[in-house]
Amino acid sequence: AGAARGDMAPKTGRRVVVIGGGWGGATAAKYVRLADPSIEVILLEPNRTFVSCPFSNLVLSGVRTIDSLTFDYRGLRRHGVSVRHEAATAIEPETRRVRVGEGYLQYDRLIVSPGVEFQWEQVEGLAENQDKVLHAWKAGPQTVQLAAQLGSMPDGGVFVLTIPPAAYRCPPGPYERTCQVAWYLKNNKPKSKLIVLDANQNIISKAGLFRAAWRDYPNIDYRASNKVVKVDPSGREVATDFGDKVKYDVVNLIPPQRAGTIAVQADLVGADKRWCEVNHLTYESVKHRDIHVIGDSTIGLPVPKSGNIANAMGKICAVAVVHLLDGKQPPALPPGNTCYSWVNDREAIAVVNAYKIDGGKVVQIEQKLTPGQSVAVAQNAVGWATSIWNDILG
Amino acid sequence: LDAPGATKALNCAACHGPSGQSPSDAMPILAGLWPEYFKKAIQDYAAGRRPSPEMEPYAKQVLELGVDDVAAYFASQQRASTKVKVDAAAVERGRAAAQQCAVCHGSEGKGDRAKLIPDITGQPPGYLRTQMLLFKEDRRSPGDERLKALKALMKTIPDETFADLAAYFSSVR
Ligand SMILES: Cc1cc2nc3c(=O)[nH]c(=O)nc-3n(C[C@H](O)[C@H](O)[C@H](O)COP(=O)(O)OP(=O)(O)OC[C@H]3O[C@@H](n4cnc5c(N)ncnc54)[C@H](O)[C@@H]3O)c2cc1C
Ligand code: HEC
Ligand code: HEC
Repeated sequence: AGAARGDMAPKTGRRVVVIGGGWGGATAAKYVRLADPSIEVILLEPNRTFVSCPFSNLVLSGVRTIDSLTFDYRGLRRHGVSVRHEAATAIEPETRRVRVGEGYLQYDRLIVSPGVEFQWEQVEGLAENQDKVLHAWKAGPQTVQLAAQLGSMPDGGVFVLTIPPAAYRCPPGPYERTCQVAWYLKNNKPKSKLIVLDANQNIISKAGLFRAAWRDYPNIDYRASNKVVKVDPSGREVATDFGDKVKYDVVNLIPPQRAGTIAVQADLVGADKRWCEVNHLTYESVKHRDIHVIGDSTIGLPVPKSGNIANAMGKICAVAVVHLLDGKQPPALPPGNTCYSWVNDREAIAVVNAYKIDGGKVVQIEQKLTPGQSVAVAQNAVGWATSIWNDILG
Repeated sequence: LDAPGATKALNCAACHGPSGQSPSDAMPILAGLWPEYFKKAIQDYAAGRRPSPEMEPYAKQVLELGVDDVAAYFASQQRASTKVKVDAAAVERGRAAAQQCAVCHGSEGKGDRAKLIPDITGQPPGYLRTQMLLFKEDRRSPGDERLKALKALMKTIPDETFADLAAYFSSVR
């Protein structure tokens, strides 16, 4: 609608532009304002609402509604963040401009948190069938559609879930989803089966705890080292790299992933053309000055691609950016991570990682698992979500 | 964020809320905790004496960053009481049962700083209840001689009463 041409908002003082209003970007935008309200912050995010991926597996089982995971950006506006519901179309590091269609925005420092993009081309038949073969790996309409497909599957039907090779967003996420789908089937479609085709050699996070949880779900058929390379929606079939064919009634294909498209196009990714390497203290790109990358798009730190990590990076990066704009040395601050996973409608498990800074690099101090699954851990999961949503958007 | 220690406490907000003002039922409010009590809690978590899968790694991180700075930061934040709602009848039942706590926590539950007995007022009810159960089962700081009397008392109290006590203390302003 009459896209502005030229400078969309002439810069008067110091300005930080943030690309992506998800877990990393929304946090960073808020915390730059908290650290120094004299800095102008513009956040670019095409979506009008924020839908939390954490807890979205519970929508598939009907334990949670998508509405309970949907938030608006009013809180950020109250902090003085200028939220624009538009997508960044290009980055020009030389002139310090972000392109938004025909127009552009000038920045002093840029924070990029576009999450992941799917490598559709890695699975034959996927690109042209995106409307039928769902990922539900970005919470929103697809989550609701997949829940509906599961709900209308006949009892006795086969649900196939496919897991891409690491690295992908949220290492324990597919195994939590396995629990939620299996729990739903057990209670609603007892003759049905869930086949999990995992490209990895084993469960890649909280393996012991998930194996223990799956003892309650004889309806799970878990197959490691089964990388799906082809999907045929008309024949309702997927094929693995060994040529095995698996029939399905409903498929949930989680595609292989890379950094958000804008990061790839702006040449922020490394030789792998997938992920962005950054300075461990400031999250400044190793490839372009004054551009910082946070969240799932990053690589090289010993941390998982999680919302908790994106949130921690958002805060640390915001503090660093404000220091750098003031010409000061940023403090050396490590992130922290907790990933809760729901194994049924009332119990959860967790993995916790703490880090320190050693020789300018993020290094893990310790990883701790909950001893088993419990209601108490699930209560803490709700506590975590309540706090962190508030920390990002409140 | 200018307060000393504030940047070292950034990771805590993921569970304990911005400035330690936990908005949830399960996670304790850290704002206003006395630094001596805070420090003991962190040391106990890090050493595994007070078992918590969440807090053990984070406590080790706090020790790396400097526990005194982090303790001073949370102590400098004014505690705003929890907004989690409680049932009025439970509060009244809890008020009656709370007399047995006064010897240590004071008549209003405000604690005794010198004895490292925390102020339990205004904390989320879910957190208070969980801690009472953990004391009863000797799962918080198991074997700690100093907490023997407290745990002996908790063993005499039925689990349902914990919810009432929690409702009462969380509602005291
Ligand atoms: C099913 C599931 C369960 C999960 N559970 C957990 C959990 O329990 N705990 C946990 O910690 N993590 C969990 N995660 C992971 C977590 O959701 C991600 O790690 C987190 O969202 C990463 O944050 P981010 O900022 O990198 O990306 P996102 O949160 O995806 O945000 C990226 C944003 O950038 C926007 N964007 C992209 N391109 C542009 C552009 N060109 N211009 C403007 N905006 C753009 C997008 O619209 C999006 O809003 C889960 C993920 C899934 C899929
Ligand atoms: C992943 C969640 C999580 C994070 C992050 C976290 N905590 Fe905690 N914290 C908890 C839980 C759960 C408890 C209650 C544990 C128990 O039962 O003893 C707790 C308890 C505490 C207590 C004891 C409070 C009391 O009244 O006795 C202190 C002190 C504390 N945390 C400090 C911190 C600090 C400082 C940080 C950041 C460096 C932090 N926490 C980060 C989950 C977390
Ligand atoms: C004999 C002394 C004593 C009595 C009596 C006592 N307490 Fe305590 N209480 C303590 C001490 C000491 C601690 C701190 C424990 C620690 O250092 O870990 C504590 C801690 C607590 C905590 C944890 C607070 C936190 O922030 O983690 C709760 C909840 C609590 N008491 C509730 C009660 C209730 C309810 C009663 C009465 C039914 C009671 N206490 C009676 C000594 C007592």
